[in-house]
Amino acid sequence: MRGKHSLFYHILIFIIAQIVWLSLLGIWIYWYVSNYIIYEKVGDQVSPQLLYDVQNALPFVLGLILLIGLSFFTSVIFRDLNVQLRLRELYDNFIGNVTHELKSPLSSIQLYLETMKQRDVPPDKQKEFLNIMLKDADRLQRLINSILEISAHESKKTLQNYQVCPADQLLKTIMEESFERFRIKKENYKITGSVPCEIAAAKESLKIVFDNLADNAVKYSPDDIDINVKLSCTSNKLTIDFSDKGIGIPLTEKNKIFRKFYRIKNKEIPNVKGTGLGLYQVKQIIKLHGGKISLISNIAARGASFRIELPVYTGSDKRLIKGRQESNG
Amino acid sequence: MDNEIAGSRILLVEDEETLAGGLEYNLSAEGYLVTWAKNGREAVRLFNTEKFDLIILDIMLPFLNGFEVAEIVREKDIRMPILMLTAKTEPADKVKGLETGADDYLTKPFHLEELLLRVRGMLKRKSWYKSASENQPVYSFGNNEINFENLYCRHENKEMRITPHEAMLLKYLVERKGEIVTRKELLENVWHLNPEIETRTVDIFIARLRKYFESDPSNPVFFRSVRGAGYTFSEE
Repeated sequence: MRGKHSLFYHILIFIIAQIVWLSLLGIWIYWYVSNYIIYEKVGDQVSPQLLYDVQNALPFVLGLILLIGLSFFTSVIFRDLNVQLRLRELYDNFIGNVTHELKSPLSSIQLYLETMKQRDVPPDKQKEFLNIMLKDADRLQRLINSILEISAHESKKTLQNYQVCPADQLLKTIMEESFERFRIKKENYKITGSVPCEIAAAKESLKIVFDNLADNAVKYSPDDIDINVKLSCTSNKLTIDFSDKGIGIPLTEKNKIFRKFYRIKNKEIPNVKGTGLGLYQVKQIIKLHGGKISLISNIAARGASFRIELPVYTGSDKRLIKGRQESNG
Repeated sequence: MDNEIAGSRILLVEDEETLAGGLEYNLSAEGYLVTWAKNGREAVRLFNTEKFDLIILDIMLPFLNGFEVAEIVREKDIRMPILMLTAKTEPADKVKGLETGADDYLTKPFHLEELLLRVRGMLKRKSWYKSASENQPVYSFGNNEINFENLYCRHENKEMRITPHEAMLLKYLVERKGEIVTRKELLENVWHLNPEIETRTVDIFIARLRKYFESDPSNPVFFRSVRGAGYTFSEE
């Protein structure tokens, strides 16, 4: 609301400023023309030397240039103000969403602690409550880490803290852990194919990637969750096709979804919670791994389908060697 | 727990599964019957098919948000107590929540004891109002008439509908006709609020009652102020 009001006031100020400049320009032209006519009529009689020549037109032209220039700069300022306003709106939304995401697990932890303090909770329930609290604490930690790591990923140009490991085992383990974290049952996901190759990967970063994809699949699946992951590789490239049967993403949003703070507004599932950082962060991490991620066309099947491509480790990756030197340095 | 509110049915609308689980455990331990809805759409469906005495409602919900659910509930049942429970702390959200029909507002993270107190207070208030209205659903004074069940009232020839809180305040004053009722008493018994911080609330609501029922609100006949004490209601 505040953003909309501010935008309205800025548009109003811009229009008023333009009217003022144009009026000023009109007055300027009127003043000059009326003086010119007077000079023409009586100039010869008052002072024969006072004749119109090119030099007299100079202040007029300069004045016009000045006014047009000012008008142009007003437009530039207005455009920049709009960008600022949009950024502030995004920032406000982000803060609101993050606050909500932080407060929810915190409220849950506080509730269970107070319950255990005030009530006589049976031992089996106590154990259950402790597990819930640990999961909420883990959720808090993941959220805080992902926010902190965004700026770290942004400032990095090369992959650091990586390990060269067998891709098949690493990817399958990370994905299964993510599915478990988001309470996706075994019957609701399928991992097919294999990747008998090695990749250089930062395990903790890849966890964030699959956590985000799994979280999105859960949030955007109004009915049963159905995730399909297909792994394949060639001699130099490893491909992961991650699809769900949720509400899907319109292809018009193909590039926008990876923007920072961008959130899809979907009528089928309104009010989906999130920070707008997930897919942005996923893209950053995949880029750091030397790979790429894209939303692939899935017109026939319902749902969203992402393709992740990562380079296979060949032992002579200059990018990684540079990263190693930087982290050692 | 009081017999009058034991076994009250609560619709808990919360999409955070762990939080909902904890709330359900505590409310059930207090003797309430809890039904959990994990999104706005499910909440509306349950509200339309089952009977509830109170709704605990989160704001940020999938499908329909808490404000939208509150509006739907209010259209059907103007007197259903709604406690909004949310992580939003902006004053604008609180105002919006109360405007859309919430009776009370609690921000996350909250204290368990405070939540249970508020739930108890709201249920007791509903129970008191229900029994008081059943005894005398329609009440007349001067040129005015009020139906405490459907909240429709008539002043001279003008008909209008008042809010549940206004009706509760009026009912409370009518039951203590001729007595001086303090602001503190009203805040504690009608609003269940801390009387130290909200004294203007009562004055605003009394002003509204005067506007509805007095021919000349600046010279009230029915709702009179008693300087330094509070208010008194008389039939003429």
